[in-house]
Amino acid sequence: MPDAETEVSSASSAPKFEPDEGWVPADERRFGLDRRTLRPTLTVFALVIMMSVVLPVINATVPYHDIVRAGDVMELEGNVTFVPEAGWGITSGVRAGKAPLSGQYPATATVEHGAMKFTVRTGSFHGDADKLLDQIETTSDALNRGRGVHVTGAPITIVTGQGKQGATVRVTGPHTAGVIAAFVFGNRGVEAVATGPSDAGAESSTAVVRMIGSIGNSGEGKQ
Amino acid sequence: MTTPTLAHLDRARDVALDLSGWGRRFVFYQPRNLAFWGYLALVGIGVLTFFSTLAREYNAYGEAIGLAVTSFAIYAALFWWFTDRIDHYAKLPHKLMVVAFLWGGFAATGTMAANANDAVLALYAKTFGQVWALNWGAGLAAPFNEEVAKGSGLLLLIALAQRHIRTAFDGFILGAFIGLGFQIVEDITYAMTSAGTQFGANQIGASVGTIILRMVSGVAAHILYSAIFCAGVVYLVGRPAEPRKIGRGLLLIAIPVLLHGTWDSLAAIAGPSALALIGLLIATIVIALIIVAWVYRLTVTRERDFVRDVMAPEQARNVITPIELDAMAGKRKARKAYRKAGRTRAERRRARYILEAAYSLADELAAARGADTDRVRFARSEVARIRAGLPSPW
Repeated sequence: MPDAETEVSSASSAPKFEPDEGWVPADERRFGLDRRTLRPTLTVFALVIMMSVVLPVINATVPYHDIVRAGDVMELEGNVTFVPEAGWGITSGVRAGKAPLSGQYPATATVEHGAMKFTVRTGSFHGDADKLLDQIETTSDALNRGRGVHVTGAPITIVTGQGKQGATVRVTGPHTAGVIAAFVFGNRGVEAVATGPSDAGAESSTAVVRMIGSIGNSGEGKQ
Repeated sequence: MTTPTLAHLDRARDVALDLSGWGRRFVFYQPRNLAFWGYLALVGIGVLTFFSTLAREYNAYGEAIGLAVTSFAIYAALFWWFTDRIDHYAKLPHKLMVVAFLWGGFAATGTMAANANDAVLALYAKTFGQVWALNWGAGLAAPFNEEVAKGSGLLLLIALAQRHIRTAFDGFILGAFIGLGFQIVEDITYAMTSAGTQFGANQIGASVGTIILRMVSGVAAHILYSAIFCAGVVYLVGRPAEPRKIGRGLLLIAIPVLLHGTWDSLAAIAGPSALALIGLLIATIVIALIIVAWVYRLTVTRERDFVRDVMAPEQARNVITPIELDAMAGKRKARKAYRKAGRTRAERRRARYILEAAYSLADELAAARGADTDRVRFARSEVARIRAGLPSPW
């Protein structure tokens, strides 16, 4: 055991000098920077470019190949279904009878054709179709704050092929026009949004009207 | 075997302090460090992305956002306290922990992973179909994108704090803080998304389930994954106090990717059975916790050795006893055994205070780089005062 009494102050009373953190040894300087920090930073930048630029660009260049065939039916959460137009592309959502392994259908489905886009979304809702349309307008206005698409005109009643009554309203935005439709099946709300260029032809409009009219709930009788 | 002299012990202490970086002050502002500018830019983009989304959505989902931010702030504080507490050997500067948290919260999420996840998920859907993407897309996109986004932050942190991040345990702790930042921001984003699932109506009801689920599942999620991943990164690149071990590094990087992938695929693996899903969920959490405890034990050994090296001269100078040194450099059980050894409650309480004062002395010695400064002498006198049972004059 060392003699503690005699060696108690053997340590130096002043801390050993260490250069401050910003100091760079002369032989490690490149372009005024610490050479040792270049490689890790450039590695991270390469990863950022890969994740935030390269992957989204690759994704943007790859088209969707999942084309709707005649007779296809899309199904959403809560047994909500609609019949997409043949020839349109499915960009989200799944066909009826093709549920994911969890058995849970997604809450959203989107089909696209050129610049036309038709999205159906479902969720729990207590109230009627008019109230749901009001809620959709309120939320949409709050999110857009006067920018983007906004409601034009008064809501009108719409009836689906199943005889379900809903509410619909026109929306317009810069170079965009469309329609929002709302239905309530029991405690399940359904929102359908179709948007496209302001000068979209009558054919697209007819297709959208057909898709809105096809919205139904295969389980409504069970509720 | 010869007994080491005090001079030997002092030299060993200097080496330990030098190697560990313990007690060094961390300066964030380093204009000659490219990592500093890289960090600022990437975190800055993430901050802008997150707060612009928050500001836009606040108008519509203000109630849910208020609830989510408050709940997750408390949640973050609890995890912060816990993670800070397990770093009680050669401690890292708190400023560095904040820097790690911000990377995870803003750069890893908004600047990196969110963009990549969206792109990869869409590519999966285009290539393998929507159903396949719904089943396996998340499990095969998020683990790679998110773990890489979080883990890459440690590379920048090492470049920013070369003198501080020296061991795999440092990577483990900073990884946990990166994961905590990521988890909190992701949880708030999930809560915002949930708020809109009922068309903006009943926001609290729509989001509260998500908030609770995220809190429960968060116990074995990003914090844990990143802690293991970043310990692996340190083994992979090697540090002055942690020799490079490529195999171990790759294993520790692969484990959280696998855990994360399994977690994100649980619904597909379990199928429609809710019971199977709950069983798998619990099993995954338990396995993840066992693994993280193993990685903690694996990495913390070097830190304990540093504590022993720094405090051995104090034991030789009779400032602390050999049992106290063993308790300080030992596991939680050793500290508990030391504290419980007292016969009376007063003795046990005093033992706890002595240990705390001895840790404070270790921190002062580290800050003084082993020198005999006024602060060190005062910290020593505090150990002696508590041992003698004298009241504090301050």
